[in-house]
Amino acid sequence: MTSGPYNYSYIFKYIIIGDMGVGKSCLLHQFTDKKFMADCPHTIGVEFGTRIIEVAGQKIKLQIWDTAGQERFRAVTRSYYRGAAGALMVYDITRRSTYNHLSSWLTDTRNLTNPSTVIFLIGNKSDLDAQRDVTYEEAKQFADENGLMFVEASAKTGQNVEEAFLETAKKIYQSIQDGRLDLNAAESGVQHKPASPGRPLAAPPSSRDNCAC
Amino acid sequence: MSLQKSVKSSGDRSEQADTTSICSSVTTQPDRHGFFGGAQYSPEPKRTVSPSTILKREQKWLRMLDNWEAFMSKNYKKVRERCRKGIPASVRPKAWLYLCGGQLLLEKHPNEYEELLQAPGDPKCMEDIRKDLHRQFPYHEMFIREEGLGQQELFSVLKAYSVLNPKVGYFQAQAPVAAFLLMHMPAVQAFWCLVSISDKYLSGYYNPGLEVLQRDGDILHALLRRTAPAVHRHLVKHKVEPVLYATEWFLCALTRTLPWDSLLRVWDCFLCEGVKVLFKAALVVLAGALGPAKVRKRACGLCETLEVLRHPPENILGEEYLVYHMQRLSLTEEDFEFEHQRQTARRRAMANRRSIETSL
Repeated sequence: MTSGPYNYSYIFKYIIIGDMGVGKSCLLHQFTDKKFMADCPHTIGVEFGTRIIEVAGQKIKLQIWDTAGQERFRAVTRSYYRGAAGALMVYDITRRSTYNHLSSWLTDTRNLTNPSTVIFLIGNKSDLDAQRDVTYEEAKQFADENGLMFVEASAKTGQNVEEAFLETAKKIYQSIQDGRLDLNAAESGVQHKPASPGRPLAAPPSSRDNCAC
Repeated sequence: MSLQKSVKSSGDRSEQADTTSICSSVTTQPDRHGFFGGAQYSPEPKRTVSPSTILKREQKWLRMLDNWEAFMSKNYKKVRERCRKGIPASVRPKAWLYLCGGQLLLEKHPNEYEELLQAPGDPKCMEDIRKDLHRQFPYHEMFIREEGLGQQELFSVLKAYSVLNPKVGYFQAQAPVAAFLLMHMPAVQAFWCLVSISDKYLSGYYNPGLEVLQRDGDILHALLRRTAPAVHRHLVKHKVEPVLYATEWFLCALTRTLPWDSLLRVWDCFLCEGVKVLFKAALVVLAGALGPAKVRKRACGLCETLEVLRHPPENILGEEYLVYHMQRLSLTEEDFEFEHQRQTARRRAMANRRSIETSL
């Protein structure tokens, strides 16, 4: 967690979605703890993780919501799409069914987030190339057609995991710089923390502003 | 939100060199509950009750189990009192089977389990179950071997349920419950206990839509307002909704949440008294974790609060603390009933409003 107040300037909210067993929690764990959790229990409901990263010299806290994949959980996980600045949509390259369901996940994401939400497609389990069921090319084409960013990654080896999370953040940050993402919008998924350590605020900070959240 | 999981991740952090966190410590000797490692592993011996007391309790329970019908119909309070004290480990499996009505179901449908297993089963359900088999308590001696007997039985129990009740089919939250039952009893008994728990104790929890779960989250929240108003205010202020922290508590009946000894004690009460035991345990954990003003002040945000609920102080999860404080909550049967009615009506009104709005 954070070591003190104001040690980052933005909070970006992410969600991770996709079918059950594609490795959503493992990707999150690999990103936050740099480890592959072989015995990762399946998520019931919603879990979360955080990590502070740096983009263009700005410290950004990623607040990542990891959702349960089974269809039935969508009744409770849908409400967490709202206000997400980034959505990582995951499928398993060794199971075509998880790829075939992407359009349904995408529809949900488009309907429930705002137009500026960055959607990143991840083909997980790239370490299992011998069992591949979905080619890189067709997934790339799907991503291009739908305007998504895309990589194949492996939560097991860590390959491309950092990239996926960081590229998403860069794109969000770019949207802020371009003015495409309105920081004042209620559900932009981004919070700006203008103060930095040691710099006094113009107004005395309330207890709410004092905390590292 | 799992409290067990958190114990493990804190252990993982200490081994820097290892990039695959198989487990923080795997031993060759299982602990007294059958765990070789993982979050549930608790090697220290337990000595809270003297052997002579245990012996006396065992005899009382055996007498009670021999005259079960009579006790349940005429002396339920005695049964409840004995459950609250903790069922001796040696009679626990049989006691649970009787308490939840699994025994009655088994007698009524003697061959049904085997018959259900003959059915092909819904292919999607079977696929989903298979995906989860290796993810249930993988450090327990029963489930440690990939495709070992434990995992095979887990498949059978979950499959049989999905065939018996196609409306629910297979829901992921059932897997830890079924695995937990299998640690205590043969598959056919575990199956009928699962049927009883899914359809009676947690009735509606596993249905598509998860309406009942969401309503119960609201009930928990309303009860918390009575038992710990300051904690309730804190959760409201930081928009910490019950569905965020209590989904796993309720859906898995705390099997993925509490330390093992506490879990067994809470289940002794749960199978005797029903779902309100889960509410009580949740209320005690909430009040224990966020009760101190100091803690609330530090946890001044949504994520920070969830973090506290994921790592409550160990002492409040201890079996004695938990069971004692669950009984001391000043909540009556009527309070539960009142909130149940109120939140059900509230959700119905909300649904009506929504349907009117969409029809306009």
